[in-house]
This record gives sequence, C-alpha cells and structure tokens, in this order.
Amino acid sequence: MSIVEVQGLTKSYPAFTLRDVSFGIEEARITGFIGRNGAGKTTTIKAMLNLLHPDSGEVRYFGKPFLGNEAEIKKRIGYSTGTVSWYPRKKLRQIAASGRRFYDTWDEAAYQQYLAMFQLDEEKTPRELSEGMKVKFNLLLALSHRAEVLILDEPTSGLDPFSRSELLEIFTHLKQEGVAVFFSTHIISDIEKCADDILYISHGELVAAASKEAFTERFSEDGESLEETMLRLERGTWHA
Amino acid sequence: MRNILLKELTLSASPLPYLFILFGLMFFVPGYPVLCGAFFVCLGIFQGFQAAREANDIIYSALLPIAKRDVVRGKYAFVLLIEAAALVLMAVVMVLRMTVFAQAPVYLNNALMNANGFALGMACVLFGLFNWIFVGGFFKTAYKFARPFVVYIVVAFTVILIAESLHHVPGLAVLNAFGTDHLAMQMLLLCAGLCCGILMTVLACRKACLRFERIDL
Repeated sequence: MSIVEVQGLTKSYPAFTLRDVSFGIEEARITGFIGRNGAGKTTTIKAMLNLLHPDSGEVRYFGKPFLGNEAEIKKRIGYSTGTVSWYPRKKLRQIAASGRRFYDTWDEAAYQQYLAMFQLDEEKTPRELSEGMKVKFNLLLALSHRAEVLILDEPTSGLDPFSRSELLEIFTHLKQEGVAVFFSTHIISDIEKCADDILYISHGELVAAASKEAFTERFSEDGESLEETMLRLERGTWHA
Repeated sequence: MRNILLKELTLSASPLPYLFILFGLMFFVPGYPVLCGAFFVCLGIFQGFQAAREANDIIYSALLPIAKRDVVRGKYAFVLLIEAAALVLMAVVMVLRMTVFAQAPVYLNNALMNANGFALGMACVLFGLFNWIFVGGFFKTAYKFARPFVVYIVVAFTVILIAESLHHVPGLAVLNAFGTDHLAMQMLLLCAGLCCGILMTVLACRKACLRFERIDL
C-alpha cells in the first residue's frame, strides 16, 4: 500500500482545471513530479497539504484521510519549497526553536547532524541565505522531526548546477534512510538523475504515473533520452 | 494552544504591537480623546499582521502539526494578550486618576471624556470591534487586510466620537464621573463594555475559524 494516496483530485479555476489526479507515493522511493510551469504541480501539492480545497478527491497518508487526522499526519510529513522562505529576518536558531515545540518526535541529534551536513549557520537569517541554503534549511526542519514523507515543491528551482546536484544526492541519501521523497520540478535532468518514479502532469491532467523504467519503456522511442521524450510528449506528438 | 501562542509571541510578532501597548498611557492625557489610545494599540497589532504576512507566517503556521483552526485561535490569543496588557495599563492609569489625581485641576477642567470605568469599558468595545472587523475580516482571505482596517478606522472613530460626546447629552453626565463618584455605575459600565468586547471576540473567532478552514492559501 502506498504511504500517500491521492485519489481523484479536481480543482477548477476560471482559467485552469486540475482534472481527476490520482497517484500513490511509495516508502523509500524518490518520486519526481514533472510538468511545465502552470501544469498543475503546485495546485496538486497544495491540495495534498490541505492548503487549498479540491472540488473533489481525497488525500490519505499512512492509510488515514488527511482531513480529520491533520495534526497527527503533519507530524509525520515535511514540506519545503524552493520559492518561499519563512520569517526572512529571524535567525535560523529562532525559527528552529519555535518549530521544535510542535513535534514530540523532534530529534535534536538529527538536527545537529543535518545542521553540520548542510553547513548552515544558525545565526544567519533566511534573507542572508542563498536559494539552495533556504531549501536545505527547510529540509533540516523536516528531517529533524523525523518526517517519513518529504513533499518538496520545486526545490531545485533557481539553484546552480552544483547545488542542484548536491541536493539530489541528499534525496538519494534520504531514500536510503527510508524516507519517501516527492518533489516537483520542471527540470527533466533532475528526474533523470535520481527519481525512481515519475509523475507527469500536463494541462492539469496526469499523463503518466509509473516507475522510471516503465515510463521510458512506454513513452520513449529508440535512442531517445528522457529529456527528448518529455519534450516530445509536451509538444503533443506522443502516442502510447 | 500554548505552542502556537509562543510561536506568535516569539516568531510572528514584530516589536510594534508590544511597543504600542504603551499607548494605553494616553489615559493620562487631559484634554485629549483618551479612547484614541485603544485605537493606537490596535494600530500596533495591525502593523504586526503586516509584518507577519510578509514573513509568510500564515502558510508556515498552516503547515505546523496543528488543526487549521488553531492557527486562527493562536492569532486571536496573541491579539487578546496585547489588548489585555493595554487594558491593564489603562486600568492602572484609571485608578490613579480616580484616586491620587482625583482633584487635579488639569483633569477637573477636562472638556473631554474622563479616564473612568465607562472609558475603560469603551476601550473594551473598541478592542472587540477590532477583533471582529479587522481580525475577522483578515481571515476571509488570510491575505488582504487593508479593507478590514479601513472599515475598522471608520467604525472606531465613529464610536470614539459618540463615546466622547455622550456625557454632554442631558441626563448622561454620569458617564463622565470624576474620581470614585458613581462608582457602582462606573463598574457596571466597565463590565458591560468588557462583556461586549468578549462577545464580539468569541463570535468573530468562531466565524474566522470556519472561514479559514474554507479558504485556499
């Protein structure tokens, strides 16, 4: 059974509709959620976190519906985004100190370990951090409360190739520790490098949800790289 | 609830809501509409909301392992704490004016409202209105606060104008009692104002919790 089950998410806006999105996230696997800008990735993620209300559909974590088990589930998941930073003028130490009160699962040793691994200075403020370090700080908070699922919205956006590569290596390390990593991106090479499973969304519809191998087998033509496949699919010239 | 309140106090709040508590001392100012002090305390809280929004405070809070309605309750708890601190300050000034300074000429010749039980009760009403109109209005979107604050300004100054003028209406001079004169009436008016403020806050908080559950962040 998937540890995260998304069933039939539908959300209509005047100019965009997310249609019947369903998929699962597996334990100790990296799932890449790919689609071009405006395809519906952030809408899906926000619905998964109850930050917006779908017109229909349900999200279950660890076999339980999110609604009604919100506090318990949020203790077991972590969220990070590459585009938003919290409290830009507060010191990282203050933000972490405030956050740790909410988690009885907070692991101070893990916090210190990841703090050192990510080379974060607690006396700095988020506004003094690079985009990559901001993502790492959000990851630090999530990992310190022993999140079993990480939901990351565009964590690699705006990162230089070195930081991106470093972050993807961290994902692989986390996977080895049993964490399910779910990240959205529009950068195909990120998926190619570390994802086990691919979710491909286009114009609000989930086109494919499969392991990377199954995805390639189904959609790629001979000698085609994943990037070429995705670009062809996005141009609408694909045939299953 | 304790954790979210601590988060509000240490992380979300800017220094201004704390500093503006001192406007409670305006209850000392003679010849000035003392209820403006309550308005300025609310202005400080408004500034705090502005700073919190810029820090993505609401989304951060909504992602914490608490029910979404507790985000709203945490904000209300913080606002109430600031208002309570200001009310304590105003109450101290009120007692000083009712006792030590009861015969001070500067207060005896005061054309405007005295800092008495009625004034403190009206300060509670102004805080209740703020909690209802501004805080409740903010949670319609958890983003837009200009419109609810402008509405609050209009309502607050209308209420201040009425409260400051009432004792000039024949038969209502008791509202401007000096010192410990008509003490029972003063305490009754204070309790009535406090009840109004609490009622508005409780109703507004309940409605804001429901609204916040429904909105998309």
